Formats: sequence, structure tokens, C-alpha cells
Amino acid sequence: MGRGLMKYKGIIPVMGILAGLTLIQTIAILMQAKWLAEVISALFAGGKLQEQAGGVGLFLLAFGLRQCSGLLMQRTAARFAERTGLSLRKQMLSRLFELGPRYAGKEGTGNLVTLVLEGVTKFRTYLELFLPRMLATGITPALVWIYVFMLNKNSAVILLLTFPIIIVFMILIGMTAQRHTLRQLKTYKQLSNHFVDSLRGLETLKFLGRSKQHILSIEKVSDSYRSATMKTLRVAFLSSFALDFFTMLSVASVAVSLGLPLIEGDIELLPALTVLILAPEFFLPVRMVGADYHATLDGKEAGESMEKIISAAEEEAAKTAPIPGNVSWTWTEQSTLQLRGVGVQYEQEGRASLDAVDLTLKGLTKVGIIGESGAGKSTLADVLGGFLRPTAGSIELNGSPLGDLSAAPWREQITYIPQKPYIFSGSLADNIRFNKPAASLDDVRRAAEAAGLGGLVSGLPNGLDEMIGGGGRPLSGGQEQRVALARALLSDRPIIVLDEPTAHLDIETEYELKETMLPLFEGKLVIMATHRLHWMKNMDVIVVMDQGQIVEIGTHEELILARGAYYALASWQKEDGR
Amino acid sequence: MRRDSWIAPYFKIYTGRFVLYLILGVLTLLAASMLMFTSGFLISKSATLPYNILLVYVPIVGVRTFGIGRSVIHYVERLVGHDTVLRILSKMRVRLYRMLEPQALLIRSRYRTGDILGALADDIEQLQNVYIRTVFPSLVAIVLYGAAIALLGLFDLPFALLMAAYIFILVAVLPYISLKLTRSLDKAVKEERNGLYSKLTDAVMGIGDWVISGRPADFLSEYEQDEAAVTRKERKLKAWGRARALIGQMVIGLAVISMIYWTGGEVAAGELDRVMIAAFVLVVFPLSDAFLPVSEAVQRLPEYQMSLARLERISGSSPDGAASEGEAASIPAGISEEEIRSASQSARLRLTEVRFAYDAGMELEGDGAYSVDGVSLDISQGKRVMIIGRSGAGKSTLLKLIQGALAPSGGEVTINGIPAAAYGDAGMPKVISVLNQSPHLFDTTVANNIRLGRNDAEMAEITHAAEQAQLAELIAGLPQGLDTPMRETGQRFSGGERQRVALARVLLQNTPVLVLDEPTVGLDPRTERELLSTIFEATAGKTLVWVTHHLAFAEQMDEVIFMEHGKILMRGTHTQLMAREPRYRNLYHLDRPLD
Repeated sequence: MGRGLMKYKGIIPVMGILAGLTLIQTIAILMQAKWLAEVISALFAGGKLQEQAGGVGLFLLAFGLRQCSGLLMQRTAARFAERTGLSLRKQMLSRLFELGPRYAGKEGTGNLVTLVLEGVTKFRTYLELFLPRMLATGITPALVWIYVFMLNKNSAVILLLTFPIIIVFMILIGMTAQRHTLRQLKTYKQLSNHFVDSLRGLETLKFLGRSKQHILSIEKVSDSYRSATMKTLRVAFLSSFALDFFTMLSVASVAVSLGLPLIEGDIELLPALTVLILAPEFFLPVRMVGADYHATLDGKEAGESMEKIISAAEEEAAKTAPIPGNVSWTWTEQSTLQLRGVGVQYEQEGRASLDAVDLTLKGLTKVGIIGESGAGKSTLADVLGGFLRPTAGSIELNGSPLGDLSAAPWREQITYIPQKPYIFSGSLADNIRFNKPAASLDDVRRAAEAAGLGGLVSGLPNGLDEMIGGGGRPLSGGQEQRVALARALLSDRPIIVLDEPTAHLDIETEYELKETMLPLFEGKLVIMATHRLHWMKNMDVIVVMDQGQIVEIGTHEELILARGAYYALASWQKEDGR
Repeated sequence: MRRDSWIAPYFKIYTGRFVLYLILGVLTLLAASMLMFTSGFLISKSATLPYNILLVYVPIVGVRTFGIGRSVIHYVERLVGHDTVLRILSKMRVRLYRMLEPQALLIRSRYRTGDILGALADDIEQLQNVYIRTVFPSLVAIVLYGAAIALLGLFDLPFALLMAAYIFILVAVLPYISLKLTRSLDKAVKEERNGLYSKLTDAVMGIGDWVISGRPADFLSEYEQDEAAVTRKERKLKAWGRARALIGQMVIGLAVISMIYWTGGEVAAGELDRVMIAAFVLVVFPLSDAFLPVSEAVQRLPEYQMSLARLERISGSSPDGAASEGEAASIPAGISEEEIRSASQSARLRLTEVRFAYDAGMELEGDGAYSVDGVSLDISQGKRVMIIGRSGAGKSTLLKLIQGALAPSGGEVTINGIPAAAYGDAGMPKVISVLNQSPHLFDTTVANNIRLGRNDAEMAEITHAAEQAQLAELIAGLPQGLDTPMRETGQRFSGGERQRVALARVLLQNTPVLVLDEPTVGLDPRTERELLSTIFEATAGKTLVWVTHHLAFAEQMDEVIFMEHGKILMRGTHTQLMAREPRYRNLYHLDRPLD
């Protein structure tokens, strides 16, 4: 564990400082034992209390030095952990933004946020604990042992023999416990989730008239959970039991082994007492490692998960095709975008989400992408919006070949309206000027009016300054779409990409929104992926997709006459009137 | 209710176990202390060169016993502790469940904020720590404190008081200062971290917008600033933690020195045998292990308060509080078995001039206005009614009124002439079943999920219900057929398949009335149509009350009801509305552009 640590910036000087402090601390431990033993044995031998001031002072000095060096070690490690955690988080977050929404969706927002916030804390704890513990385990027992060896060889042998026994037992029991836990993991998870599952299903249980009886089930499962946990704990606690047991046994053996030669008069009280005081110190570092084992393991795993995201992003970045210098990114009436044989395949074996798509987009037209779910509409929209890197084919923008569309200047041409546009917690105005933070309040107001938010704004107590999003005033689905629309209008970018903008709305809201949207689409390149057929009449070009491929391209009238895939789609949507 | 009512009662229930745990905890530390005490005594005694080895025989046995005893007792102590706490956890879970159960249908609308149920479950887990990490370490420390001082007092009262003062610093003064110093800082850190949590969730959910806006760098620098502010506070907390440990250790150092001087003095005065010096001095170190953790134990107190507060808030609004909000669940059922049985065969729903307003205090749909305002419906057995309208039109409230979960503020809701609310928790599920947008599928097998519809159902009936829901093909493809686990929230299955499993469950429940609360939201059009066809086919003869947001299948309904602002705006059959209402016609054509 910890082999990967060396790559963190500044770890070598930190380790140096920590090693130095550990050394000082160990010497202080030795001195503390020595002076304490001296004072006690002097008093034992009948020395005067007044004469012990020097010894007591030195003991206190050593004791204080030990505590202070310990404090400095913790502080050094904490500062290092803080710095390293910070840089890891920074890297990870900026990489996360490079990977974009597809990746975030795959990994799950909750997971990522937890990893950033709790993962970094755990990782910090790991560094904070692990570095001092590692050095203490390496340095302190060795020096203590040498000192004990010089004082009393028998005791030193006892300590030396116990040490490997402890390690072996800890590993053995640790492994057994892990096997045991793994075997039980599935039942264990199910049992521990049962309660949350029950709470979330409470409404359903009530509908089914079973919510009252379910109490019995909660009792029963909680009980099985308890016995399963106790079974695991009985094994898991054995590991620290072994540690305790052998340490205590060893200290006891040392005490007994010192007693007999003392009776014989072979050794003096002073070395015997020193050894007795030092015996627990010999084991202390290992015991601390044992106590912190789980915290360090958690932290290490968190660190690895974060590294995984960073390296995933680096891999992605490595795939980026070089961008030629003279691309004219700006989309105008004369612009063309050409996709040739573009494909997207997530897994090696799996079905392609997008398969050999050839498509040419010209100037300021309205393009509808239609098809059943799973046909590849959203995938195509994501490729065009630059969220997704195709795994095959080539793209040409205004005559310049590009590997993909994820370059920042292309993204700056686009506004994107997804099915559920995200409303940030902030004021309505800030949400609208999200892409253009410098926009004046007047411009924001105009955009809001044009997007049909005028009524809402005048109805809000704080108007445009009303807080919305999480914790603020909740908006309806239609209002959220209008905010996204206002955002698009204000940023005044030449391309609008929409992915199922109205599918979840009730039909009246959808209708009103459509009325607002259509005029705003004029003078833009509009790319709309949807399964709502009624939009298609308003599109200049319709791209019909099926199983990742483009099966038809044309206008509404052309495609109806062709009686092909589009016609089929339109017909089965009518069928329910039977 | 008292604030500590989540903690205190369990001491009473498990007194025996708690006492055992406490005794074992004390014994663990006592054994460790006695190990050092007898060791010190042993070698001092040996150093007096006794003629008879038997004189040190007892301490030798003692040293070994205490050495082994400490580890064994500690092991048992931990097991006893965890067992007790898990028993409490089980009781707390049942208690929380009992509290939430009566308000089941209103939780979703009452507590809007995020995953309140998940949070409550976590809170209860958190409360386990109260016992293991706070109460017990403190109790053990206090018991040992008393015992140590009492023993020392037998030798020398003034010195015992001096030691009492030292330990007082460890078990009272430092914890008190610690709590004072860190409470507000701790709270600020927690709040700011929650802020970071929502900020980051915000950003990750809207990551597409950030990427498109080209401004992730702005977000990152702002976020890092906030993080830095939290880190500064955390650094302070940690620095205090370290300082506190140092102070504690120095107090122990002083105690050791005092012990040296006291024993030295006593020996010189002839009050104490010289062999006791090492024993008395060495015992200070292991004994202090009992007192040092108290500060940390106490510093945790504010952590529990948040969890307690949330639980209290829930219990505050449970049964007694709820009745005043027009909730009908606690109304005693003034209805006979016979009436329920008859309604479970055939039910006639009648709503006459029904009005309902959520209390002004509740932040639900209308702002004090009626959510449902003068609605009359007469739905005889077998009728199929579609209710359409935009969100906030009062559709969901209307459904809750029909199910008797809410009692009308005006007018009447009856089933077979008896008020809907009177059917109660036991009767209503025999009359009305519900398929909503996200029916919960439990983390068990498919068969068990379906069986929830009727507990005593035969396997053949379950299979039949699955066939009716057109699950046969899907189930045949599953590794263990009906006995395949659903996995958590049914993630193994697609949205349409999940609804079909829930449908099978509802079919098994076999009630005369089925309420459909937008069951197809989020499904693609083909899946939606297929699911609805299955539903209509499988529920022939049943009454359907179907809330939806668009007009597919309107032709198959006996009545279409169009709601707005809690009122019925238009009603009639599809054909009538097409003929009569231009607004309806428009919307219908929007849904069907090719007609």
C-alpha cells in the first residue's frame, strides 16, 4: 500500500521532515523511559526526594518533546494532505468538465459529487494518517528494540519474536475476515438496504394495503441484519484481538522474564524498569496502524477512484485529433458541415449507437432528427453539439477536416436545450445570462419577454431577481424550457441544438412553447432531435433514423409521398384510434 | 415530545445489556492498568531479592492474567456493544416506519427537499454513534474516575483530591472548552459543506450547460474559493484537536510527576512500601487512556443534533398533527366488513361539488386558493375516465380525494354512498388500486414483487397476472424466471418493463377501480402505446380513472375531463369534445399531425 504515493508533488521533503521528527520523537521516548526509570529506582534505593528534581525535569522535558514532535508530525502531514487533496480535486474537477455530460450521466451525478466531497476528505485522512504511521512503524520499533537489546537481551528476544507473530496473525485474520465479508456481501447489502427500500416504497405499500404488515418484515430483516453483522464482526474484531492479545502477552512475558533474573540478582532494577516502560512503546506504532487500517484503506480507494477519472480524461484528450489552424468556425448562411461515415460505438462488441452516418448541413436551416427511442437521435445530436467524440468517420467544417466537434470555438457557436434544461440555483436573471454573464439587465429582460417569460417575471415578487433552482422557487417544466430558451436568445449564438425539448410536457404547454419557439428559430441553424412528429412540419429537412443509421432524408411532404420509414412512423402513431 | 426521546428510552429497554457493556468497558481499562501496576510491583518486588520465589508468584500470575484478560474482555466488550446498538437500530427503524406510515401518501408533497427518506434512514444510522462513541466512553471514564479517586482517597485524601483535579481537567474542563470552541465552527463547516454539496450537484447536473457556455474555469475558481474557506475552518478545528491532545498529555505528565513526589514522600515517611513506587507511577499511563477520549466524545454532540432535529420535525408532523390538515387516515372506520366486501366487487364513485384547499401554511400548488374547486363526477362500475390538464390543475389532488387520503373541505366524495375516507387503510386497497409514474419495485424477486398485490396468491395466479401484463416473454428470458431478483429499484428492467411488473401486481390486487396516475411519463411513444394497450386489455370491466398529459387513446375513453385551476373546463366523450370545443380540437391535431 502506498507505492503510488511518490508521485505526489513535494512528498520527498515532507517525508524527510516527518522522518526527522519521528527520529526526534523516538529519542524522546527513550529518554522519557530512561529518566522515569532512573527517578523511580533512585527513590526505590532510598534516594532523597529533593535530589530527584533534575531527573524529574529531564523526564518532563523528554515527555514534552515527544508530544510536541508528535504534534508537529501531525501538522506537517495534515498540511501536506490538504495541499495534495486540493490539487487532486482541482485536477479531477477540470477533467470532469472536459469529459462532459455523457460521462457524468454514466457515472451518476450523486457518485461524482460524493467522490469529490467525501472522497477528497477520505483521501486526506489517508495521507494524514498513513505517512506518519508508516515512518513510525519503520523507525520507532527498531530504535526501541536496539535500546532494549543493550539493556536486556532476553526481553529484546521476546519482543523480536512477538513482532512477526503479530503481523502474521493480523494478516491471516484480516484475510479470513475479508473472505467472510465478501461471501456475505450480497445478502448483507440486501439486508442493509431493506429499510431504505421500504421507506421509499411506503407509498406503494400503502396503495397495496400492506403498509401495516410490513412492520413485521422490517423487524425480521433488521434482526437478520444484526445476526449477519455480528457474524462478520466476530471475525473482523479477531484481528485487533490478536494484536491486543500478543502485545499484552508480550509485555507480560517481558515483565515476568525481568522478574526472575532480578530475584537472582543478575540485573539491576533500573534497566529492568526502563525495559518494562519501553515494551508497550515498541508495539504502539503497529497498534496504531491496525486501528487506522480501515480509514486508510477507504482513503486509498477514494484516491484511486479520482485518479481513474483523471486518467480517463487524459485518455480522451489523447484521442483528440489535431485541429488545423485555419478553420473558420463561425457559422453563417454559407457554412457547411459534412459528416462522412460517422459512427459511435461504446463497447467493442456492442451494437453501434451511430453507424456510418453521412449528413451534410448547410447554412441557416431547420433540421429535424426523428426516430424511435434507441434509434440514435440523441447520439447524433450529441456528436453535432460536440459532447461526444465519434469513434469512426470524418467531419469537415467549411472545408477543414476535423476529428470531432469538441473544440471550444465550435461549442461557442451553439446553445443547447435538453429535455430538462438544468436550472442553477441563483436568480432568474443569472440563469438567463448564464452564457453571457456581462449582459445588461435590459437585454435579459428582452430575452425573457421573447421567450414568453414576461408573465412569470411580472408575477414574481422579486421579478428577475427571484431566486430559482434548488432551494428557490420551483418552476414548471414549461417555464424551465422558457428559461433555457431565453438563455439561448441572449447568448445569440448561430446554432441551437435541442434534444427532446417538449416530450415530457403536457400537451397545452407543449403547444404554447412551440408557438414561442418557432419564430425564434428563424436565422439559425436548428438541430432538433425528437419523437414528437408535429415539429417535423416546421422543419426544412427531416432526418429519419433507425438503429443508428439514417434511413431517409427529405421534407415532410417528400417523405410522406415516399411512403417509407417516416410514413410508417407517422402511421403507427395514429393507430391507437382503433 | 422531548428532544432526547430518540436516545433515552433505549437505555431502559436494554438496561441489562448496557450495564454489561459498561462493566466490560471498565474491566478492559482496569485490566490494562492492572497489567502495568502488577508489572511495576513484580519487578520492584523482585529487585528486593526475596528469599522465596513464591513471594512473586502471585504477581507473576496476575501479570499474565491481566495481559490476556484485557484483550479477551475488550473483544467481548466490542461485540456486546455492537449487538446492543444493532438491536436499538432495529427498534428505531420500526419506530420511524410507524411514524411515517400514516402519512405515506403525503410524504412526497409534504417534504419536497430531495431524498428525505434516505436522509432519515441515515439519521438513524448516525444515532448509533451516540451510544458507542459518546455515551459509553464518557460513562466508562466517569466510573473509572470515581473508582480511582476513591481508592487513592483511602491512602491520602488531599493527594486524591489533587489527582481528582487533574482528571477533572481531562473529563470536564477540556471537553467543555472543546465543545464551546468548536460548536459554532463545526456547525459552520457542516453548513458550508452542505452548500458545497448542492453547488457541485448543481454544476454536475448542468455540466452540459457549463461546457457549452465555455465557462467551466469560472465555476472552478469560484468553487475552489468556497472550498478554501471551508478548509481554513477545518484547519482551525484540527489545530485545536492537536492542541487539546497536547494539553491533555501535559496534564498526564504532571500527574505522573505528582505521583512520583507523592509516592516518594510516602515511602520516605514510611507510609508506603518502596515496591509500590513503580506500580503507582506506571499505572497512570494506561489509566489516562480512559480519560483522553472524553473530549472527542463530547465534541461529537452537535453532530447528533442535526439528525435528531430532522427526526423530531417528522415526528412533530405525524399522526396527531396531521389530522388537522384534513388528513383522513386516522378517522375511525365507520364501515362494516360487508360494505367493504361489496365495494370490492363493484364500486360507484361519486364526487359532488368537491372542494379542497391545502392549508395556507402548506407550500403546495395553489397559494391558498382551492386546488380542487367544485368538481362533480359520477363514475359507475366499469366506466373509463380520462383526466387531462397541465401540472397544477388539481389532477393529483383530485386523485388523493378519491382515494380518501385527503378529506374534502367542501362537498362529498363517496364510494357506494359511503364517504371515501371511511374505507380507511384496510378497506381502500380492496376497492382502488393505483399505478403511478414510479411504482416502487422492491429489492426482491419478480414473483415477490407481484405477490405484494395479494399475499395469499397461488403461484399460478402470479403467473397468470404476469401473463396478463404481457410479461411472459420477458420472464422466460430471465435467468431464474419469476424468481429472478429485481435488484435495487428494479434497475435490471427498462421503464416499460418496470411498469408491467407493477401492473401485474395491481392486477393481482384485483380491485374494481384502477387509478392510473400518469403511468407512462418518461416512456418513449411506442412503449407508451404498447403499455396502455396492455392496460386497457387487461382491465376490461374495471373502472379506470386515468390522469394523463396528452391525448393519445382519448377515443377509447367513456369521458374526457379537462381540468384547469381546480375546475372542470370541458367534459364529454372524445367525439363530443371534437365537435364542440375548438381548443380540444387544436390539441388533438397537434398530437396527430398527419390526420
